[in-house]
Amino acid sequence: MINTLIRYGIIFFLLILLQLLVMNNIQFSGYVNPYIYVMIILLMPVEIAAWLLLIIAFLTGISVDIFSGSPGMHASATVLAAFVRPFVLRIISPRDGYESGQGPSMVTYGFKWYLLYAGIIVVIHHTALFYLEVFRFTDFFRTMMRVLLSSLFSVTFILFAEYYRKGR
Amino acid sequence: MRNLLNFLARHHNLIIFIILEGLALFLLTTRNDYHNTRVVKGLRGLTTGIDESIFNARSYLALRKENRLLIDENIALKNTMNRLNAREPRSYYPVIDSTYNQYFNFTGAEVINNSVNRQKNFITLNMGKKDGVDVDMAVTTIDGVAGIIVGSSDNFSVAMSVLNLDFRVSARIRSNGYFGSLSWDGRNTGEAILSEIPQHAPVIQGDTIETTAYSAIFPEGILIGTISNFERSGSDFYNIRVSLATDFRKLTHVNIIGNLRREEQLQLENQFQ
Repeated sequence: MINTLIRYGIIFFLLILLQLLVMNNIQFSGYVNPYIYVMIILLMPVEIAAWLLLIIAFLTGISVDIFSGSPGMHASATVLAAFVRPFVLRIISPRDGYESGQGPSMVTYGFKWYLLYAGIIVVIHHTALFYLEVFRFTDFFRTMMRVLLSSLFSVTFILFAEYYRKGR
Repeated sequence: MRNLLNFLARHHNLIIFIILEGLALFLLTTRNDYHNTRVVKGLRGLTTGIDESIFNARSYLALRKENRLLIDENIALKNTMNRLNAREPRSYYPVIDSTYNQYFNFTGAEVINNSVNRQKNFITLNMGKKDGVDVDMAVTTIDGVAGIIVGSSDNFSVAMSVLNLDFRVSARIRSNGYFGSLSWDGRNTGEAILSEIPQHAPVIQGDTIETTAYSAIFPEGILIGTISNFERSGSDFYNIRVSLATDFRKLTHVNIIGNLRREEQLQLENQFQ
């Protein structure tokens, strides 16, 4: 139990540091702004209480917010992602159900499943985030382009990270 | 109470989601200048319509008061104007204007004597030769034609009123341009006679009668009155009665109009007569 907490704590800090120090500085022609900290939500165990996940999501988002000077923006998007995660898990649940006691991983459920899982949640998170950022619908399709390109980048990174986590 | 607790227990995830999301959005819209501005702007757009209709209703209710204020202001302005006018030298400046093709020169004068009950009525004005007012200038009011200057001294001038048996002015029907001569028959102070309109001209009761430029006295198109009734006389012409636009019983302010090119026009015309 304590081990698990420490492990998740370390992952939490690592991801947020990575986000703040590296990912926030990626500005590829204004279209690609990857946000990989959403992986914290993806890593949580399947049977975690929904309310706890929401609170963790809020804390994650607000931490990123505090350091990027945009209070509420990331928190809002991340809480939304955490809220939809149980529904996503239910919809794409594998035939044999989930194994208890661990987060959904690529090892257990396969690459295709993990891609679908990460893709849905990342796109939901990014959509909320980017539209909250511009806060208007005038550049609707430009914003959508940003959402898709950034999601592509974020999902790619998450897949890599997941792959190496599996290898360890 | 139990139901409420049950409800809360059943939907605790949704409630926590709403609370956290609300908190995040609250932070987003209050702690970020850009988002705050957008929200305030949106709310303002929403309320502006309502505010506008309330304002409209209110301003309608305040019309009486507004009117009162305007009247007061008007009185004050008129008083000021009067004071200033009395102090200033009078101002009929005959300007030879070759740059702007000025044709007529306007100035205001006040009626200091006027009659309507004789057969030959005259109007006395408070401007004379010193102010550049001379014989054969036109006199009009805001409503329409009033007369023609027939004599002037240093400080005064006398105009022959339309209500004078000797008064003649070239006049036409505005709608179709047929022109004739307008004079007064000495009967009614509100009516004059327009003669010499041929019977083939279309004449309708209520048609507008205005001046022509033929006399070289009046500018073209100054209102004289409207046709009150007409009949075919024995000859080839109509006998048209014109209801005068000017009320000669209450003349106070008039305009004196000088034709700056009258001399030139008359000289040229005289060569061929």
